[in-house]
Amino acid sequence: MRLREALRVRQASAIIDEKGLVQAAVSMKDDVCIRDLEKDFGGFKAVNKLSLRVKHGEIYGLLGPNGAGKTTVIRMLCGLLRPSSGEACVLNVKLPDPGVASQVGYMPQELALYLGLTVHENLAFYGEVFGLSKRQIDAREQELLRLVDLEASRDTLIDQLSGGMQHRISLACTLLHEPQLLFLDEPTVGVDPDLRASFWRYFEGLRDAGITILVTTHYMDEARHCDRIGFMREGRLIAEGAPRELLELTHTDSLEDAFLAYSRTEGPQ
Amino acid sequence: MKVSRAFAVTKRVLRDLKNDRRTLVLIFVAPLLVMTIFGVAFTGDVKDVRVIVVNNDIAAASSSLSDKIISNLDTNVLNVAYSNNEGDAVAQVQNGSAYAVIVFPSHFTQSVQARASGQTSVAQENTTISLLADKSNVNVANPIIAAVNKAVVQTTQSQGRQLTVLVDASNAIYGANARFIDFFVPGIISVAVWQLTTLLTLISFVGERSSGTLFRLLASPLKESELVAGYALAFGAIGTTQSAVLLAVGVLLFNITIVGNVILAFGVIALLAIVSEGLGILLSSLARREAQAIQFLPFVVLPAFLLSGVFWPIEAIPTWLRPVSYVLPTTYAVEAVRSVTLRGWGLDKIYPDVVALLIFASVFLVLATLLLRRRD
Repeated sequence: MRLREALRVRQASAIIDEKGLVQAAVSMKDDVCIRDLEKDFGGFKAVNKLSLRVKHGEIYGLLGPNGAGKTTVIRMLCGLLRPSSGEACVLNVKLPDPGVASQVGYMPQELALYLGLTVHENLAFYGEVFGLSKRQIDAREQELLRLVDLEASRDTLIDQLSGGMQHRISLACTLLHEPQLLFLDEPTVGVDPDLRASFWRYFEGLRDAGITILVTTHYMDEARHCDRIGFMREGRLIAEGAPRELLELTHTDSLEDAFLAYSRTEGPQ
Repeated sequence: MKVSRAFAVTKRVLRDLKNDRRTLVLIFVAPLLVMTIFGVAFTGDVKDVRVIVVNNDIAAASSSLSDKIISNLDTNVLNVAYSNNEGDAVAQVQNGSAYAVIVFPSHFTQSVQARASGQTSVAQENTTISLLADKSNVNVANPIIAAVNKAVVQTTQSQGRQLTVLVDASNAIYGANARFIDFFVPGIISVAVWQLTTLLTLISFVGERSSGTLFRLLASPLKESELVAGYALAFGAIGTTQSAVLLAVGVLLFNITIVGNVILAFGVIALLAIVSEGLGILLSSLARREAQAIQFLPFVVLPAFLLSGVFWPIEAIPTWLRPVSYVLPTTYAVEAVRSVTLRGWGLDKIYPDVVALLIFASVFLVLATLLLRRRD
């Protein structure tokens, strides 16, 4: 009972926050702002009245079980899907906007690499697509392969790399054109625990360098690395806040339990 | 061995199939399609071939042997037109609006009868019907020659006495000494490029979709039209190289006749490759996996193989089935490439085929771009 009241208070304050934010929107920089976003797939609402903001320079984790609508949100933000209603702004530009693509780095859920090309050929291709010069590509390639510790594999076919190595190259391709904002869709799915830890170290490093990150995951425990997280369920945002805040409010020890607590208070739709 | 367990496997396989409509269609519709096309197209004889008769015979109409022969020409096979001027008639064959000119010499009836009465001084050329045919398509030229010979035999036999009429078909307007292989190679090259390019694009694009690379590209500054154009350039180049190799083998191995500008033929084939590429992208949206993409193959290959004039001419395809031939881009490519290699035609004469291919290419590429722009 106490929990439910606590949540209600929290939700009320969120509404006040929201109003305050609207007024402060000009001075405070949000790299992503989504308002009442909806996506309807022939009667199935994958995303339902979703509103959220990602502040400049933070890691925002979108958490939820499979089928919660996280990927659909990311795809709408990347311009791969047209929203059914609502609006979304990315880097202060209202979508859809063809110009914003060059400043955004998108890492799809799939590997999204050409298996028959070498590491270098993949990086060079994506670099050219983003309009980088040969010199820029070479410089970025060196830097990124050092970051993901794969300098020795430059001329290896993607096919011949291990799954973990392939994931690291996929991340490198996403970072190639020095985007200011990253959309990472389940970047740690199918990645072993060691590599997952290093991925989160990369993300934190990127954030510290001033890059904003919106990341989705269904591994609740790794979301503790995020500055703020949003719980998604059945296309809606059911709670939002810093990880520690959500743990305190739900009196739980893990984000998984916190999610379940919010799920219960929401009840079935 | 336990029957019930084997039975469980059987049930699983059949259930799987029930949910896979595409394979079901393949199992039932594809063989039907093949059977029908083969059955109908193979039994079809050449029909409605336009020939021009130039009758210089000056005999009285009532007793004219030439008119009798003309009336005995099989009008199922030949669509007979007349002209008084041999030069005009030949020009019509040269520009492709007719397949042959049948010329009767000026003293034909008189000479044939004179010879039959034992006058040996009659010049042989006066008793000879000259057949000037476009032999670039052997499957059309042979039935024309056969039809003329048949009419001559029928007429002379009905005259009741021994008449000697010669038919000279040795002078060809196009394709002198053309063999089946000369006619077949340009056709099969077009169909090979069509088939391979469609399949490669299809598989490659299904791969772009399933591996996620397409998502990365569509979320990048790359425009959909640039993606389609990039693919078109690549496959245009592959198609040209492929046809160059095939044509070289044709020349070296089979010594095929090439009288026209090979570069023009390559241009036509590159255009066909671009059409195929557009089709491949369009089909890729219908398949989710590579395995499903392969199943489109019979539908892409068979009609092109059977109905675009590779083995037998469009003239031999039943009239009701011809519209299918005319919606196949390969029909125009086969015709154009053959006209270049065997007739030596230039762009001034093959432009209708080239325009048709350009229309196919633009429609397919625009549709492919629009398809990639879909965001719902």
